[in-house]
Amino acid sequence: MTQVTMIVNGDSRTASVPPETTLLMLLREHFNLTGAKLGCDVGDCGACTVIVDGKPVNACLMLAVQAEGRSVLTIEGLATQNELHPIQKAFEDQASLQCGFCGPGVILSAKALLDNIPDPSKQEIRDALSGNLCRCTGYTKMIEAIQESARVLRGGSADQAV
Amino acid sequence: MKRRGRGIACMWYPIGFTVAANASAAVVKVNEDGTATLLTGTVETGQGALTVLGQIAAEELGVATDDVHVVSGDTDTTPMDTGAIASRTTYVTGNAVRLAAEKAKAILFEVAAPLLGVRADQLEARDRKIQVKAFPQRFLPIGEVANHAQLIKGQPAIGSASWNPPTVAMDPETGQGKPFNTYVYATQIAEVDVDDETGEVEVLRIVAAHDCGTAINPMLVEGQVEGGISMGIGFALQEEILFDKTTGRQLNPNLTNYIMPTSLDMPDIEVDIVDSYDPTGPFGAKGVGEPTSVPTAAAILNAIHNAVGVRIMSLPATAEKVLAAIKEKKGRQPKQISAA
Repeated sequence: MTQVTMIVNGDSRTASVPPETTLLMLLREHFNLTGAKLGCDVGDCGACTVIVDGKPVNACLMLAVQAEGRSVLTIEGLATQNELHPIQKAFEDQASLQCGFCGPGVILSAKALLDNIPDPSKQEIRDALSGNLCRCTGYTKMIEAIQESARVLRGGSADQAV
Repeated sequence: MKRRGRGIACMWYPIGFTVAANASAAVVKVNEDGTATLLTGTVETGQGALTVLGQIAAEELGVATDDVHVVSGDTDTTPMDTGAIASRTTYVTGNAVRLAAEKAKAILFEVAAPLLGVRADQLEARDRKIQVKAFPQRFLPIGEVANHAQLIKGQPAIGSASWNPPTVAMDPETGQGKPFNTYVYATQIAEVDVDDETGEVEVLRIVAAHDCGTAINPMLVEGQVEGGISMGIGFALQEEILFDKTTGRQLNPNLTNYIMPTSLDMPDIEVDIVDSYDPTGPFGAKGVGEPTSVPTAAAILNAIHNAVGVRIMSLPATAEKVLAAIKEKKGRQPKQISAA
């Protein structure tokens, strides 16, 4: 067993796990954060995407011990008690998710993009989502919601040029 | 060199099969606070069916969609539904929901009529009120009527109904019948670039016009069409299950080599919802689920033909297949030998 300590959604968390445990299994099985999904388990589908030190990663491909001392953001860390994060709100308003399985990963890929590029082009959004597979939506309404939430996060009106 | 082409494809698709029983049932009750509860056996899979069914109940009762609490997919409590299959939910379950709400509303009208001093057939349900037609200032809040129905009249406003598109047997002599109750129609146009040196196809734009009856929720219709187009693009260009011919084992059983569309493969999509009304559907609606992915591949393959003049006769139209067809076509053309 290996002891790992990291910042998860702002709080310091520690667990003792077998060394082969992935970050995804640590989050889901030990910290009960089941927002990140186990899809393909080989880094193809992106359903397990979380943000580690500002970068989106496939949590199924990262060992828990590799996240030692680092800062991990999962979908559970986005909304507050009172309100959804603007990206989540835009996804809800525009019906950007259907079955929703890919949703947590897509939204975190979008957050990592908007943290770095506040005003992304459509192509930059497509690039950022290219590691997140979605079978339901055709990605169209996701791209629209990310453009919309980018406007909100930059401080613009939510109603402009939807 | 990249060559651009456009292709068009049309389709019809049947909604509400009639060759066998195809029933949906629903229960609607109006509560004393003016909200309503809808019980349905159908299942939400993300397509927005429960939103649409809630909207249908709300429209019939004259309340807001938010006022309708939908309970679904629990065989302990909800009535029978044939299922979220065959693009039938809005049409068949929607009709059952509308009829159930209509029955609950009839009880409210019967209770409100003497209180408002009119006949029940002179009433309408709008804006959370039971009001006199053409005299909307004479009204009672719907919750007050529901409360009166329960506590004074002892006649709670509950309606239950089922709907089954009339089953039509096939004529054993002629084989003729009427297999479906209604049909939807669509046309999609694809614009593609085909690289005539590599055979690669890029879909640039798809315009999709769908007649789904009256759209109960246009945003959800768009979502269905966009999703269907992404499946159609995968069908046209990428998705193929490969088998080992001797063992029968699938060679590409994972997403590394079973390739499906990513955000980078998706073109710009324009959705046009055609103005339409089907008198047999709830508030004129038909359906939209499966039909959305029917014409896409045909439109893309027609666009490939328009761009480089080759007909691809098997799916998916991979770069290898398109390039082989282009080379074969070139080989069939007589060589131009210059006189000099």
